[in-house]
Amino acid sequence: MQILAQLIASGISVGMIYGVIAFGYQLTFATSKTLNFGQGEALMLGALVGLTTINFLIGHALGTLSAFLIMLPVVLVFGLLQGAVVEFLGVRQAIRTKSEAGWIMATIALGIIFKNVAENVWGHDALRFPSPLPEAALNVGGVRIQPMEIAIVIGAVLLMIAIEIFNRRSIYGKAVVATANDRDAAGLMGIDTRLVITFSYALSSMTAAFAGVLVAPITLTGANMGAALGLKAFAVAIIGGLSSGVGVVVGGLILGIVENLTGYYISTGYKDVPGLLLLLLVLSIKPSGLFGAATIKKV
Amino acid sequence: MLKVENLVAGYGKVAVLHGVSLDVPAGQLVTLIGSNGAGKTTTLRALSGMIAPASGSIRLGGEEIAGLPSHLITRRGVAHSPEGRRVFPTLPVSDNLLLGAFPRFTGSRPKGDTAADLEKMFDLFPRLRERRAQLAGTLSGGEQQMLAMARALMLNPDLLMLDEPSMGLSPRLVEEVFATIARLKERKITMLLVEQFAAAALQVADFGYVLENGRISTSGPAARLRDDPAVKAAYLGAAH
Repeated sequence: MQILAQLIASGISVGMIYGVIAFGYQLTFATSKTLNFGQGEALMLGALVGLTTINFLIGHALGTLSAFLIMLPVVLVFGLLQGAVVEFLGVRQAIRTKSEAGWIMATIALGIIFKNVAENVWGHDALRFPSPLPEAALNVGGVRIQPMEIAIVIGAVLLMIAIEIFNRRSIYGKAVVATANDRDAAGLMGIDTRLVITFSYALSSMTAAFAGVLVAPITLTGANMGAALGLKAFAVAIIGGLSSGVGVVVGGLILGIVENLTGYYISTGYKDVPGLLLLLLVLSIKPSGLFGAATIKKV
Repeated sequence: MLKVENLVAGYGKVAVLHGVSLDVPAGQLVTLIGSNGAGKTTTLRALSGMIAPASGSIRLGGEEIAGLPSHLITRRGVAHSPEGRRVFPTLPVSDNLLLGAFPRFTGSRPKGDTAADLEKMFDLFPRLRERRAQLAGTLSGGEQQMLAMARALMLNPDLLMLDEPSMGLSPRLVEEVFATIARLKERKITMLLVEQFAAAALQVADFGYVLENGRISTSGPAARLRDDPAVKAAYLGAAH
């Protein structure tokens, strides 16, 4: 029982990371029906830029926690810019020419380029990321939880709530939702929908970069950290449904927990299998995802 | 207000409009009538930038707007309530209305009092007030039509273009829609009304154009078109 609780607890924080990245996939899919397949690389770049920034700040005699907090806005802005670049170079042309697959290749290609750049700048080795919180695990009813794992869950939830509030409350957020609903009609409202799509890419990469610096302190950082996370989050986005915010959180948690259980009870070698099986199962039974509802549309 | 000359437009390589010219003077209600497939909707789509015209001139208050993307045309004061209503289904009624005023929030149109205008829309369409928190996708067809019209009005437009506001509505609702159009006309809102319901449109309009196979075949004061034997036979026969 104790072990089960332990496995679930540590599965939750990993699952939240998957959820945040998958949430990023949703943001661009909603406005443009396209995805950034370099989302894992956006996460990796965010983490590495964060690493350089935090080390610089610590080098200037800041404490790790305050250095981490000052680093966050730097990483978020970097993520926004990186996402805008991806949209501008890789996606815009494909959307303009109504290309079915152009954006797939373009975002994958950009992802590979980003990875190569990162290997040259930061090297091939996995790097340690300073943890802003004590690394000693807390004992919660016999379950050992790292403070950073709690921070991941809180940070991920806060980010998603912030974006949700932006979408519902601000006129710009409503413009994003309107673009997702009906691009032509949004244009008639005076909304520059092309800009909205660029913005959704920026926001999507920003969430990935944020996930990168959240997860980096409990894993390691490096040019290769993104690929697996990006792919698993993609599975989560499909499992949860590309249109449901709740879906990706639940999907992320399911995958995070199931992975941990499989790793312990079966074999770490099979850790990735159940999630992918679940993906195949969802695709064959409910292709819109567990929580993906058909959009309400009356003509 | 709006002056269109020799407008040629269509989809892909297929031209639907073969040189349409028309005038919408400030403060007037002009209607564009014609049978299915004549190019009425295409005309409005070209005017609001939803499709790029192949050639021709569209001048709004003297400025050329042909070829501009739709968001820039809207920001210049042209509101288009499109065919099929196109409300935002996952947003509540009130948000749909606020989005109609988007350029006013972002500073590309004079801001004015958006909250007061929202209330005015609810006075004009009381049903929308009852449903203000409801998602637009759950409204009935008639309610969606009212929402689409109210949303366009939220721009405080210099020119309001309505595409088939009566489409798919019950006779009672059609009457209601035309009563609303008449009320907007009293307020001197410049309007371009596209209608298949020619009799009702000519009843309320100042001036009319008849579109036939992508060309203007007849035009004149609405009262005269109502009595024109050719127009009567082609477009008013069944309705009267």
